Amino acid sequence: MDWTTTQLVGKSLPNGQDVKCRDRESAITKTDQGNAAKDRTIQISICGSTPLLWRSVDIKQSRDEVGVIGTLIGSLARQPRQNNRLGRPLEILKEEARLLLETGEATDVRHPDKSKKVSESGESHLNAVQLYQARLDRSYEEQCSLALEEKKAVLHRVMDEKQNNHTGNEGPERAVRERLCSLEKSFSFPRSAMAVQLCTARAGFSHCPEELAFLAADWPEPRDKHSEARFRVYKDLRRKGFYLTAAGKFGGDYLVYPGDPLRFHAHFIALCMPMDESSPLSDILTIARLGSNVKKTVLLCSPRDPSDSQVEGDVVYSSLQWSGMV
Amino acid sequence: MAANDGVPEALQVLLSDELLSPSELFKERSRSHKIPVKGQKEFLPDGSDQQRARLQKSLDEHWTLVAEERVERLGNLVSAEWIPKEKLVKLLSPAGKFWQTMGFSDRGKQCLLPEEALYLMECGSVQVFYKDLPLSIQEGYECLLSPETMTLHQYQVFGHLKRLGYVVNRFDPSQVPSLYERQLNLPLPRDMQSKQLKRKRSQSPGSRLCEKQSATTMEQTTVEGECKGEVQIREPDLGHVAPEQGTTQQTSQDKSMECVANSDGASARNWWTDMSGQAQAAAAQAAAPRWDFSCIVFPDLGSHRANSATLAAPDPSLLPGALEVGECKVAHWLRKLNLKKERLSRRDWERQRERDRYKRDINDDREVRRCRNWMEYLDLMEKRRSQQHKERPAHLWEQKVTPLTHPGQCISHRELLEQISIIPSCDLLEGASRLPWSDKWRICFNVYQPDTVAEFKKSHPGKPYTRLCVCSFDGPVPDLCVIKQLSILSGDVPVTFAVVDHGDISFYCFKEFKLPTDIY
Repeated sequence: MDWTTTQLVGKSLPNGQDVKCRDRESAITKTDQGNAAKDRTIQISICGSTPLLWRSVDIKQSRDEVGVIGTLIGSLARQPRQNNRLGRPLEILKEEARLLLETGEATDVRHPDKSKKVSESGESHLNAVQLYQARLDRSYEEQCSLALEEKKAVLHRVMDEKQNNHTGNEGPERAVRERLCSLEKSFSFPRSAMAVQLCTARAGFSHCPEELAFLAADWPEPRDKHSEARFRVYKDLRRKGFYLTAAGKFGGDYLVYPGDPLRFHAHFIALCMPMDESSPLSDILTIARLGSNVKKTVLLCSPRDPSDSQVEGDVVYSSLQWSGMV
Repeated sequence: MAANDGVPEALQVLLSDELLSPSELFKERSRSHKIPVKGQKEFLPDGSDQQRARLQKSLDEHWTLVAEERVERLGNLVSAEWIPKEKLVKLLSPAGKFWQTMGFSDRGKQCLLPEEALYLMECGSVQVFYKDLPLSIQEGYECLLSPETMTLHQYQVFGHLKRLGYVVNRFDPSQVPSLYERQLNLPLPRDMQSKQLKRKRSQSPGSRLCEKQSATTMEQTTVEGECKGEVQIREPDLGHVAPEQGTTQQTSQDKSMECVANSDGASARNWWTDMSGQAQAAAAQAAAPRWDFSCIVFPDLGSHRANSATLAAPDPSLLPGALEVGECKVAHWLRKLNLKKERLSRRDWERQRERDRYKRDINDDREVRRCRNWMEYLDLMEKRRSQQHKERPAHLWEQKVTPLTHPGQCISHRELLEQISIIPSCDLLEGASRLPWSDKWRICFNVYQPDTVAEFKKSHPGKPYTRLCVCSFDGPVPDLCVIKQLSILSGDVPVTFAVVDHGDISFYCFKEFKLPTDIY
């Protein structure tokens, strides 16, 4: 066995990646500095102790700008009864949530719009209901006219076809014309045929439930040594341009992707170990075995103590390799 | 996608930018329901344009899917109301197809449990209102899920299985029969009746018992007064032999016909259990048997088929109460018996001989064959036993300390080990009922397989395929104590652990593994 203490991360990457890393770094620092200019923030909602993103703009923004991947955990709107592709909400790692908060891109909405909603008992609630009903009525009317238009368009098209095909025979054409005339009077669009939206994210006009107590659970969780180590490793790898997702399945802390996980396979399983913590060799062998089984390299990631290292926030990466000596 | 379409400012309600306008809603009615396939993943980003284009295409598809909103026709939606006090969702319009596997009626009202309502919201089947306003999915997660009703993790597992088509409902410990009840095979009240019913359709326990008995009696009668029951008689520990075996001696008179004729399982059962009690008593006190075996004649149906078209009426003193049994016609039974001589191929014959080397057929014993009834057989056995005792070396058997087993009593190592029981084998459930109870782990769900959905009845759910305990990779691994507790709680249904880790759900279970032991 050899211990390879490396810049494995830096070395194994093609040049393009390095460029991207630098870009990323600058992007992050930029958001650090000039955040005041941002006109909208990402809203993290906490369910139990799980940070969730609900709005698709938030999800896109956090992926595009901060590289937050997360996992979709809801049913997909388009096809709810399957598990291959899931939909909103997006569950994000605690580290991702922390990064979002630290970069100032996000606020946690544990008590969403509390100031506004607390007073919403009497009149404003009534208003909200009225607004909802009015919207519904207007939507019905508009859909009614849209349906009529559509029907007319269909009949017109049929009439045109008839005209083109049978110039001699006037019978069917006239019938269609008559139907078109009577359509205005006879057309009915049942209310049950109206399309309504079942909002995914909080819609705004709905009543905000009082029971938000459970949301006030222990979040952010008390930070211990291990969670600190995890966060520093997360930040460092992210800064180097890697994409990270949870690796519970693989017995590690993160799965490390060279590009967007949508298109690329993970190369590493990152395991965070505080520098001064000793761990039994058997544990390391176990994870190394697992890594080779799934054809991924296991990275042991130890954040360097900020006090005694020159470079702040540096993380030491090591991997275990079978030496090939018999 | 944004459309705030002219909300009066006075209302001061911040509308989400994800609300669709009427025209968008109208268009959504005819949208595709296809899901784009994810292509093969690549190894490394190489900076090429093609790769970038592929990534962009995947991302575009991804964002389209993620941003899509649920749009349903009003007529297809079941509307419901969230009642926070009762932690229930009450339906305001009649339920849809989901009612077959979900929901329950409470004082004439159709209700859904929070997790069911939330799942149906996500499926676009139910619109839940609270204070006359519809809840978004987000608000659904926020109000319907709570540590008291259902945690997010539990809901994730619930949703995962529901999406796969499983029937999932909450686990109620009081519905599981206790170990004691199971051992007695007691019919259970309420939901357990379903099992009973189902079984009855195929074979009720009573009638099965009856059939089994008649089968054994048939066997016995065919072997011409041979005693299959000899095992019970020779072995002193008849106590734990199942009652139906004990009765075989008595049934081997001529009751088999009755048993068959008596199609009512329950009464037949009572009658036989009664008998078996007597039989046990009789066998236990071998010195003064209640039955005088010398005058009980074995019916013989096998060998002299010509002259036994009927069986004589049994001695009334052997029958309980006012039961009258006349002569019994056995002709139609005889026709069913296979009296053809067995013809073995050479190989079969060799195989049988091989088998017989280890197994002694009691019928090969001339002296046993000469016995005409149980009494004579018992006498013979007693005689032999005393003979055996005489042959034993005095220095081993006549002292205070004697060998643990008798020579020839145990044929295999395993039997020997069981007999001396120095190392008793332990099974998973042993001692589980005495363990201290901890609240940390609990079973959340009963799971029924998707292929049973068609016949699934909420009132009679039957035996689940498995039961689920939801936990997380952050938490501890269940220890043996927990596994024992949960499996005793679950009864005869296996317990599966569902582990939730950042949206990934894995299922695992612990199985008792018996190391292979020698066969002989």
